[in-house]
Amino acid sequence: MNIPLSVLRVFALVLMVFAVTMLAPAIAAYLGSDAAAGAFFRAFLFTFLAAFILWFAVRGHAAELRRRDGFLLVSLVWVVVPAFAAIPLLIHLPAMSFTDAYFETVSGLTTTGATVMEGLDSLPFSINLWRAQLVFLGGMGLIVLAVAVLPLLGVGGRQLFSAEAPGPIKESKLTPRMAQTAKGLWLVYALMAIACTLGFHWAGMPWGDAVIHMFTTLGLGGFSSHDASFGFFNSPAIEAVAILFMTLAGMNFATHFMVLRSRTLSFYWTDPEIRWYVGILYASVLGIAVYLWLAGTYPDFFTALRYAAFNVVSIATTTGFASTDYALWPFFAPLWMLFLCSFVTCAGSTGGGIKMMRAIIVFRQLMREVVHTVHPNAMRSVMLSDAPLSNKIVFAVLAFCFVYMAIIVSLTLVMVFTGLDVITGFSAVVASFNNTGPGLGQVGPATTFKSLTDFQTWVCSFAMLLGRLEIFTLLVVLSPAFWRK
Amino acid sequence: MERLLNVFHVFSRIALIFGLSLLLPISVSLIIDDGAHVIFDEAFFGTIAGAGIALIATRRFNRELNVRDGVLLVVMCWVLLPLIAAVPLLLGVPGLSFSHAYFEAVSGLTATGGTALSGLDGLPPSINLWRTELHWIGGLGIIVLAVAILPMLGVGGRQLMKAEVPGPIKEAGITPRMAETARGFWVIYIVLTALCVLAYGLSGMNWLDALIHAFSTVSLGGFSSHDASLGYFNSPVIETITIIFALCSGVSYATHFAALSGRSFKPYRKDGELPYYFLVMGASVLLIATYIWQAGVYPAFATALRHAAFNTVSVATTLGYSSTDYAQWPLFAPLWMLFLSSFATCSGSSGGGIKMMRAVVLYKQVFREIIHAVHPNATTTVKLGDMPVSNKIILSILGFGFLYMFSTVFFTLILALSGLDIVTAFSAAVACFNNTGPGLGLVGPAGHYGVLSDFQVWVCSFAMLLGRLEIFTLLVVITPTFWRN
Repeated sequence: MNIPLSVLRVFALVLMVFAVTMLAPAIAAYLGSDAAAGAFFRAFLFTFLAAFILWFAVRGHAAELRRRDGFLLVSLVWVVVPAFAAIPLLIHLPAMSFTDAYFETVSGLTTTGATVMEGLDSLPFSINLWRAQLVFLGGMGLIVLAVAVLPLLGVGGRQLFSAEAPGPIKESKLTPRMAQTAKGLWLVYALMAIACTLGFHWAGMPWGDAVIHMFTTLGLGGFSSHDASFGFFNSPAIEAVAILFMTLAGMNFATHFMVLRSRTLSFYWTDPEIRWYVGILYASVLGIAVYLWLAGTYPDFFTALRYAAFNVVSIATTTGFASTDYALWPFFAPLWMLFLCSFVTCAGSTGGGIKMMRAIIVFRQLMREVVHTVHPNAMRSVMLSDAPLSNKIVFAVLAFCFVYMAIIVSLTLVMVFTGLDVITGFSAVVASFNNTGPGLGQVGPATTFKSLTDFQTWVCSFAMLLGRLEIFTLLVVLSPAFWRK
Repeated sequence: MERLLNVFHVFSRIALIFGLSLLLPISVSLIIDDGAHVIFDEAFFGTIAGAGIALIATRRFNRELNVRDGVLLVVMCWVLLPLIAAVPLLLGVPGLSFSHAYFEAVSGLTATGGTALSGLDGLPPSINLWRTELHWIGGLGIIVLAVAILPMLGVGGRQLMKAEVPGPIKEAGITPRMAETARGFWVIYIVLTALCVLAYGLSGMNWLDALIHAFSTVSLGGFSSHDASLGYFNSPVIETITIIFALCSGVSYATHFAALSGRSFKPYRKDGELPYYFLVMGASVLLIATYIWQAGVYPAFATALRHAAFNTVSVATTLGYSSTDYAQWPLFAPLWMLFLSSFATCSGSSGGGIKMMRAVVLYKQVFREIIHAVHPNATTTVKLGDMPVSNKIILSILGFGFLYMFSTVFFTLILALSGLDIVTAFSAAVACFNNTGPGLGLVGPAGHYGVLSDFQVWVCSFAMLLGRLEIFTLLVVITPTFWRN
């Protein structure tokens, strides 16, 4: 193991930035005088000091980061930061094991939204705020955050960006300067945050809940401050606001950014993903509403439509809120929802899964294979937005999709091997790996991941990280070839 | 339309030959006097007359076949011949619906072995013989058979075989003369079958059962003349024979052919798939034996090993016999067996699934992507044995691998939508698509496909055909591009 010291230096800086974010719940706890204020201040001091000591020890090693270092840094950040994020939970809830606390914070930072905690309604506000804030920070990416606020990180920023940002084609569009890009993305994110908070409050949430749910809606995370999730509010208006913002957060933020910058909506029409994304999402909403209505789950079509719209959009965009226990619906519906969550969200959004962009590329590549079978010598390229894609990208996308499915199969086998039933094992893996949140069976929307053993919980944590970093970043670091000189 | 008639002309010739295969059950039925020969007589004369009339009616349409015609012919054979094959079943098995008879015939010809019938022991032996004869004919390929015995089909023979022979690299190790190759394959196939009959007969089966089971073993089908499958004989010797012949048939016939025509073992050593094939099989047998022994299913390790060896090899090679109801084992074991069946057999064998060659290439390609992630400009090649694999083939293998997994998900969703539970739906999809046979749940080794509804049985039939023709051949024909000029 030789971790370049320059990587540790940047890592220390990122951790320092992260430590500062702990002050938000600390202040909230102090102002609201809830019981967790001390926990947050202590966690902040500890994290900041640890980061500072590390930085001080390696401060001289300010070498330019290479591509390889980028992978290492991103993996390091995503694996280690959740451990620090877990400190406030561990201090405030002494009964919680490290395994569970780490799971909870990984679930937050990867915007999964699966929880092992019960009795959310009675927790201090600041703890729920912290959980939701993790979703918000992780949604846009910890490195992106650091790049935006720390110009000195500009070293090799592009490499870092490509190792963390979701989607197959990392270098496209946007501004050439990385720090500027990161700031642009955060600007869009912040504007949407304000709009969403106002929207929730207008629809009837108290301010505190509005902020918490805004965080987890935009991060496409799915944590709530209520055990019943959105079922607690039971308000069509709140659900409508959530649906709107989940849909927006599932689109590429670069597209939002360009719309904002040029003040014209035309970028939405020319984006290659958005029409498929919106089309498939809302066709599924209608399909499942009809299916539920015909199956007699809800007596009238409008109730069916209301529940289908909220829960389908929530799961498909990998958010993971629930307004009812949809695991009780006829089996096809939740299965279809889990299927959607594996590919519906756009590249460059805060969602998980393989992303719509890859799904489109794979689909076009298959059409190309079909043509090749009939005309073996035909020359055809895979087109995306009127530009031909290089075979190299097609290769990478196909390999990605293959590894993606292979991992679902192998992790499901691991879960079944350790004694889970197929539905729980499979859905826990799919829901964790796609960063969705609730699965089915023992880990369904009405329950939590608490019933899993420690080992199974670690498997889920690993799956969430693997999914969030789009497999290869983590896989590369875990491969022996990476460490060989 | 002219294309269709042209292809239909060749098809009617093949149907004519196929009709002749009914002579075997007719003569057996006459010899043992089981009363079923009338049924086969009707089917025989009906087929001969029908095919003859079709042949004469389309005699003007006999121009050369091109690539597209070849694809169409293969699909036509595989979709329409089961109709003929189903006639004796419809006439001979009381209460069998047309859907289930067609399913049974498809399951026979695709060498799947999932049966819709129960009470096999009470059927006339000639009917059981017909079922496994279908396995035997389909195992190596209807077209391969036709090319072998009909030199006039030599037109575009290479194209035809390409569309039907399983595996990614069709031209490897095959002589330029198609008819000769096809004959070579059949000689090996027949020799293996004869040896298998002999071995079964000498170890205690009656000779008719020996023939029936040899047909189904060598073709990796899985039909038996007993409801308890091979568990009926409860003989370790017979089980060992099955394992040996199943393993033999899971190896590429091109390798057998090369070894036989060169009279040396060298081709086996040079075959890049074989080490993986045997390694995966051996390791899985040991793993499952240990697992079920530890779980306390069998008190003695030797018993566990016996059942694990037989059932694992049987399912993994896509044969599909069972010596015990392995669905009762802890869930991981049968799940792992189904998983193996999706890739363990070699390309060019009579097994199903994506084939070991593709699995190895996929696996190596993933590592190549990892290297590329760290060193974007590195030039690497994927090698199989000593042969480099071209990017074009890798691309088509990646596409195939993806489509394969996608189809499994698709069939599972459809079967779940039609009301099956998840275990039955998923395992039926996998078992049919891989041409394995028994799944789990309702369609487990102790159950049968007769309990499925007509719609579900049609989905399964389609899955079997799609799997046997390795997706693209069938998929191409249902795309509009194929029919455009």
